[in-house]
Amino acid sequence: MSTLELHGIRKSYGALETLKGIDLDLQNGEFLVLLGASGCGKSTLLNMISGLSEPTAGEIILDGRTLNGVHPKDRDIAMVFQSYALYPNLTVARNIGFGLEMRNVDLTTRKKAVAEAAEMLQISHLLDRKPGDLSGGQRQRVAIGRAMVRKPKLFLFDEPLSNLDAKLRMEMRSELKRLHQMLGVTVVYVTHDQIEAMTLATRIAVMNGGQIEQLGTPAEIYNRPTSRFVAEFMGAPPMNILPTSAVAGGLRLGTTKTVWRCHHPASEIVVGIRPEALKTKTIAGGLRLSGRVELIELTGPEQIVSLALDGASITASLPAEEELRLGQALDLYVDTERLSAFDAETGLRVEITSEHPKA
Amino acid sequence: MSTERLPLRVWLLMLPLLIVMLTVIGWPLIDTIRLSFSDARLVGTGGHFVGLHNFTKMLSNSYFHSAFFTTLKFSLWSVTLELVIGVLVALLLNQKFHGRTLLRALLILPWALPTVVNATLWRLIYNPEYGALNAALTQLGFLDSYRSWLGEPGTALTALIVADVWKNFPLVALIALAALQAIPNDIRAAAISDGANVWRRFRHVTLPYLLGPLMVALVLRTIEAFKVFDLIWIMTRGGPANSTRSLSILVYQEAFAFQRAGSGASLALMITLMITVLAVAYLFIMRRLAGEGR
Ligand SMILES: Nc1ncnc2c1ncn2[C@@H]1O[C@H](COP(=O)(O)OP(=O)(O)O)[C@@H](O)[C@H]1O
Ligand SMILES: [Mg+2]
Repeated sequence: MSTLELHGIRKSYGALETLKGIDLDLQNGEFLVLLGASGCGKSTLLNMISGLSEPTAGEIILDGRTLNGVHPKDRDIAMVFQSYALYPNLTVARNIGFGLEMRNVDLTTRKKAVAEAAEMLQISHLLDRKPGDLSGGQRQRVAIGRAMVRKPKLFLFDEPLSNLDAKLRMEMRSELKRLHQMLGVTVVYVTHDQIEAMTLATRIAVMNGGQIEQLGTPAEIYNRPTSRFVAEFMGAPPMNILPTSAVAGGLRLGTTKTVWRCHHPASEIVVGIRPEALKTKTIAGGLRLSGRVELIELTGPEQIVSLALDGASITASLPAEEELRLGQALDLYVDTERLSAFDAETGLRVEITSEHPKA
Repeated sequence: MSTERLPLRVWLLMLPLLIVMLTVIGWPLIDTIRLSFSDARLVGTGGHFVGLHNFTKMLSNSYFHSAFFTTLKFSLWSVTLELVIGVLVALLLNQKFHGRTLLRALLILPWALPTVVNATLWRLIYNPEYGALNAALTQLGFLDSYRSWLGEPGTALTALIVADVWKNFPLVALIALAALQAIPNDIRAAAISDGANVWRRFRHVTLPYLLGPLMVALVLRTIEAFKVFDLIWIMTRGGPANSTRSLSILVYQEAFAFQRAGSGASLALMITLMITVLAVAYLFIMRRLAGEGR
């Protein structure tokens, strides 16, 4: 049973504060994804959990034991790197068993553990090869095997799939998910890829500038982002953000004629609409946005349509079957339940309730 | 490597260079081979064909034997020390500390000096009357009276080796340092969290990355050490009592001091052959390393 607690973790390099107070509480068997743009401090945080560097302030607790000052090898944590970090002159078998070898585990136990891990990762036939003779995907499996045999309390992954091509990345993603469900281990996983985060995580921590912007399940993060930053970071194509102006009884979206009838605070509000929330069919009580089709990008199952409104432009993900022509007039509808509202000043989420016209 | 035959055009393009190479390298080589089968002297007429006489005479000559072992001893010691010291210095300079950049720059200095300057410098250091080594050792209490380091058969070769190591370890250190900097940080981190201690990290992480580049340094240094001439010529001229006479010095003496162009040429050919064997052996090792280290 492994639980990880982070209390007020800070890290400074000279005058530069990279991490500005991270608090996390991780349950046994959780798959936590740290999601954020490059340079926001994800690796820095992971390195401090693994013990490769020490926090400037704050406490790291694993299963009730404070890890601050504990040598990496004594932390019972295994890490998988983006670059695989395999030992080039050792065979796959020795690479996988290296952690056990260094801990003076006897050969028969080691061999058994290596064989087991290799079986699980489907690399049994590669055990005698050198890392140089393997493909990227195979190398990453070896790296995962090397972490697995140690049976650590906690697995750390630092962008493990970023060096793989798209197809392999998807394969390994499912593989990781399968392994996690099978082994029930606790994982902290770093990525800048939101699809990876959405598919793998039991919870996602969206990081921004050395802080956790939002912590929640993938559904919470996606559907109820607590800030404009999270809203725009998650989702491809990204969420449409429209400024509003207050009119009698509601908010007018951009410079359009569309008015959202609602109770709203006095502060300035921007409204976020996910591209897939926009439909071509009328929605009872929903909003209508009228514009002209400006651009159509077919992705296969759907088409990404840019719609020019009065003085603004929004993107909609529509089914590929809808027959649309460039330049045609088009009305799109959105359920007000699926709108997100943010304070224009602070970027924080504002809960706004719609006023439904009596039907 | 491609085994395709080169098209004629390529040969034509290379022709001018090939002609120059053949005249400046090929012709002297052929002439040396011709000389080595004759009793020609440096001055006077061409000499007569004597068959393998020069070679058989040299191979049974005790001068040749002792020069061979002197060269071997010099090469083995200096190259070994240069590799060990070079790697240790590289490991040191790969650490983070203040003044590292300055030290790295200074490192090149001994290697950048011409051999003549280095040899003269060390002759001054070893000078029996006012040399710095004598002064330092007496003042530290290691030595009762000044010694003639280059004048005694027991110490002359060692003194030369030290001078050679001083000049050439920076080359090895630079090559090793470049190799160390190419080691991915992640592998080091992985080894640390896998629980590998300092020695095992060196053995399994650092060494594999060092080995290839070190092989290159080894080849370069061994071949150069085997050919050593200028350093010895300036510092001891092969003395005292021929204790530092290397093969190159012997060739020089035979061909120019004793004016025996024929046997000098045969000796030169034998050295060339030995170095070729060394070079081929190393190339073979390097190929195998390149094959493994993918
Ligand atoms: N050893 C270091 N010294 C100085 N600054 C560092 C060091 N490591 C990381 N940083 C800085 O910390 C910030 C976060 O880095 P990192 O954690 O690697 O980001 P991420 O993994 O999210 O891309 C970066 O701006 C980087 O420049
Ligand atoms: Mg990173």
